[in-house]
Amino acid sequence: MRTVLRFLVRLFPPSFRAHFGAAIVEHAALDCERDRSRGRLAALRSFLLTAFDIGRSALLERLRPSFAGIPVEKEGTAMRSSLNLDGWGAELRHALRTLRRTPGFTATVVGTLALAIGTIAAVFTVLDRVVISPLPYAHPERLVFVAAEAPGSEMTGEFGPAAEFYLQYKEASRRLEDVATYGTFTNSLRVGDRVERVRMAAVTNSLYSTLGAQPALGRLPVASDGDRVAVISDALWRSWFGADPSVLGRSYEMAGASRTIVGVMRPEFQFPNDGALLWVVIEVRAEGLQPGRFGYNVVGRMAPGTDREAVAAELTALARGLPQRFGGSPGYARLIERHRAVVRPLLDEMLGPAARSLWILFAAAAIVLLIACVNVANLFMVRVEARHRDLAVRRAIGASRAQLVRLQMAEALVAALLGGALAVCFAGLSLPVLLRAAPAGIPRLAEVSLSGRTLLFTLLAALLSGVLCGGAAAWRGASPNLARLREGGRGSTRRRRLGRDGLVAAQTAMALVLLIGAGLLMRSFLALRSVDPGYDTRDVFTFQFAPEQPALKDGPSWARFHLDFLARLAALPGVTSVGIVENVPLDEGTRGDRFRSEDMPEGPDSGRPLNWTFAAGDYFRTMAIGVLDGRPFETADHLSVHGNVVISRSAAQLLFPGQRAVGHRLQQQGQPAWHTVVGVVEDVMQYGFRDKPQALLYFPLVGPTPTSWSITTPAYVIKTARAEAIAPEVRTLIRQVAPEAPMYRAYTMAGLAARSMVALSFTLLTLGVVSALALFLGALGLYGVLSVVVAERTREIGVRMALGATAAAVRRMVVAQGARVVALGVAIGLLTAFVATRALSGLLYGVDAVDAPTFVAMASLMLMIGALAAYVPARRASRVDPCESLRSD
Amino acid sequence: MGASLLEFHVLLALAGGALHGYAIAERVAAESGGTLVPRAGSLYRVIARLISDGLVAESEGEAEIPHPGLARRYYALTASGRRTLGEEARRLKQAAAAAEKRLGLARGRS
Repeated sequence: MRTVLRFLVRLFPPSFRAHFGAAIVEHAALDCERDRSRGRLAALRSFLLTAFDIGRSALLERLRPSFAGIPVEKEGTAMRSSLNLDGWGAELRHALRTLRRTPGFTATVVGTLALAIGTIAAVFTVLDRVVISPLPYAHPERLVFVAAEAPGSEMTGEFGPAAEFYLQYKEASRRLEDVATYGTFTNSLRVGDRVERVRMAAVTNSLYSTLGAQPALGRLPVASDGDRVAVISDALWRSWFGADPSVLGRSYEMAGASRTIVGVMRPEFQFPNDGALLWVVIEVRAEGLQPGRFGYNVVGRMAPGTDREAVAAELTALARGLPQRFGGSPGYARLIERHRAVVRPLLDEMLGPAARSLWILFAAAAIVLLIACVNVANLFMVRVEARHRDLAVRRAIGASRAQLVRLQMAEALVAALLGGALAVCFAGLSLPVLLRAAPAGIPRLAEVSLSGRTLLFTLLAALLSGVLCGGAAAWRGASPNLARLREGGRGSTRRRRLGRDGLVAAQTAMALVLLIGAGLLMRSFLALRSVDPGYDTRDVFTFQFAPEQPALKDGPSWARFHLDFLARLAALPGVTSVGIVENVPLDEGTRGDRFRSEDMPEGPDSGRPLNWTFAAGDYFRTMAIGVLDGRPFETADHLSVHGNVVISRSAAQLLFPGQRAVGHRLQQQGQPAWHTVVGVVEDVMQYGFRDKPQALLYFPLVGPTPTSWSITTPAYVIKTARAEAIAPEVRTLIRQVAPEAPMYRAYTMAGLAARSMVALSFTLLTLGVVSALALFLGALGLYGVLSVVVAERTREIGVRMALGATAAAVRRMVVAQGARVVALGVAIGLLTAFVATRALSGLLYGVDAVDAPTFVAMASLMLMIGALAAYVPARRASRVDPCESLRSD
Repeated sequence: MGASLLEFHVLLALAGGALHGYAIAERVAAESGGTLVPRAGSLYRVIARLISDGLVAESEGEAEIPHPGLARRYYALTASGRRTLGEEARRLKQAAAAAEKRLGLARGRS
């Protein structure tokens, strides 16, 4: 209990807290102890009131500080004005009484607000931790990520700079205080008997100074260490070394070399994301550097007072001098002429599309809260109308306008604060669900939990909702029409109806915008699902393992090992076919290099940049990659040197335009050997379903000489209906042939496909839920308003029916009134969506942000729901008994 | 504009001598006939405001009612606080008289 109190007291401004915090906790705890003797329920009520009081006081203290420190001058100060919430006491008590008297109304209002505030509080919690709260480094706003682009060159889009860029930036930039380069990869870590493939990063020592990161234990690497040291993450330290401090100074095998651990980083150091478990040193030197090997990640810290444009301009200018300093081909020089540095905030780079998804979700939740507020405001308006006589009497006997406003506002505020308290519970329940649905790879997602900031946000959201909900009613209630005292308080005024109809139209519009957004995402999702990536992800299991055996020393020995293991896998029950590929699509990228055909001249810039990988076994059949011409590899291709290659359709078109590729030869730049094309297969999308199909070359497991290449840890693919369940059997097989090798990167291809779309599916799912909520609340609002209108017009309807109007005519009249309002809302919503859906454009696929069918379909859905919501009150209206309604006064 | 009711009652509670927070709350509750039962948050805001305005000061000295288990911080009226309390009491008396007169008239009319 004291923990809760102490936590609440933290909401007070620091100076106030320092002075009175302890006393308040003590006082409140004593209060609660005293009330404990009066029974459990009374104690709970007392505790809640005390907690509420502390929260309210803390907020007030922040808004209008009452504590200015202890004055030195003790004489002659007048008492300060006391226009504060203490003066609201009577109104608040009155509000509590009225709310208690109408439990149905209170439950509706509090429930609606709790749902909407809880939703936005949960989203805010994630957004705050992941997007708003800065990176755990000093002055995170000055950290930038540097990429490159060269429009009009053969490098398309954005790409990572090369090592010489980093050197040039580091030595010559004045606008960057510090700069570092890094890369991540997967490699073996061996500690005693335990060997696993883990994510690591190779970073320059300047990374730590650039970020301003300090180790929790030990020290950072320095230049004199060379590259045989490493620092490890807090996670690795705890999971592998049992948080043993004596790990410092010990050496282990990491990434193929023995390296000494010199430091353990703090838990919050997760760079570039939480996947990296250790950081080894890369040294970038000018001597012997080959320019033009792009693909490095560069991060820099801007000097104070400079901005990203200025940095980009400086870095672009610095890069111009690179060919002069480092040489390189004419093609490299041409590329540098076109090169422009791209400078982005580091946070954007680290978050990627997640930030956008979260902001979209936050906006959607805000819209739902607005709709909820409109609904509740409408309910309060109706109540004010019902209480019109009461208010008029109060005004007539001298209540001030301010008092009447306070009377109304107090009720809305109390309801909203109750809703806010429930919302915190709701957010606490829904947050784990939200986190489970969230895409992997969002940094710091694991740290997300309800915090003091969430509570403060919820409190503010509740107060704001209270003001929004109560505002309209208070404004109406503050100037009651005294003339209506005489007339008996009947009839409805046009002004009142306009206000309510406007609110309903507004919430219809907002709900429609969300619906259209969800509809567009749904269409993108379906479009992506029906993309043909060039392979079939169904019923395929993939995994890797890393055997380490003395007999495995060159290309042919590795090839025999893998082919033998393929045969064992193929013998498993239910396995249709098995194959090997060095870089399996959707999980790993392929490498790129230049290749030329015999018709193309030799030279550093000739040939075509193409991607290449290795394949064996029945890879193409297992993945259902179509063989268009010639044949796939045969076992013989992998056992001795044949110099054969299988290429994809686009690669064939690029290298041998207008010719049949099979039988032609191709050569990798800088390599003497020629390879003969034996087959042409379909292109595949390597990185995801939004990609262009890749021009790809497949080489066999054995190169031109036994030591040209060794394929040590390819990805195995297995086609089987038991893809989800086959992993244990595979592990048993691995233990038989290579007990030292762990199995890793084990997935079903269907799982990888789902992972590649998770940013979209997460946004779709959450936005879908939120817009369904919006639709429901919107329909509820329309229903509520029309019900009240029907109730108000009972007399009029009775007269009409007495004069011969049929039930159908009355129904038509009421539905038409609702339809007019909904139609107006739909029109506004369509216009808004026209602009607002642009925010989704990065997530959409195969559908325009202003896709007409989606707009029309969602608008029709909205109209239909609107008609339905209007029909129920209309039916009630048509059943009005004329005699009853006329007798009622 | 005069002091709020709670401010007035806190000043009143301290008129008899220095008290700590919890005793102030108890005395306010007793003297207002149970209509004012300030909770911790509101009470200390009022105390903070009175301190900032120089009407109340923290006092280290002996208090008349010691309370077990509480942080020993006592509050006492300053000279200016005592004066304000007096003015405030007079103002309330006048206001009460005016209210009675008005209410009496209103009764007479109905």
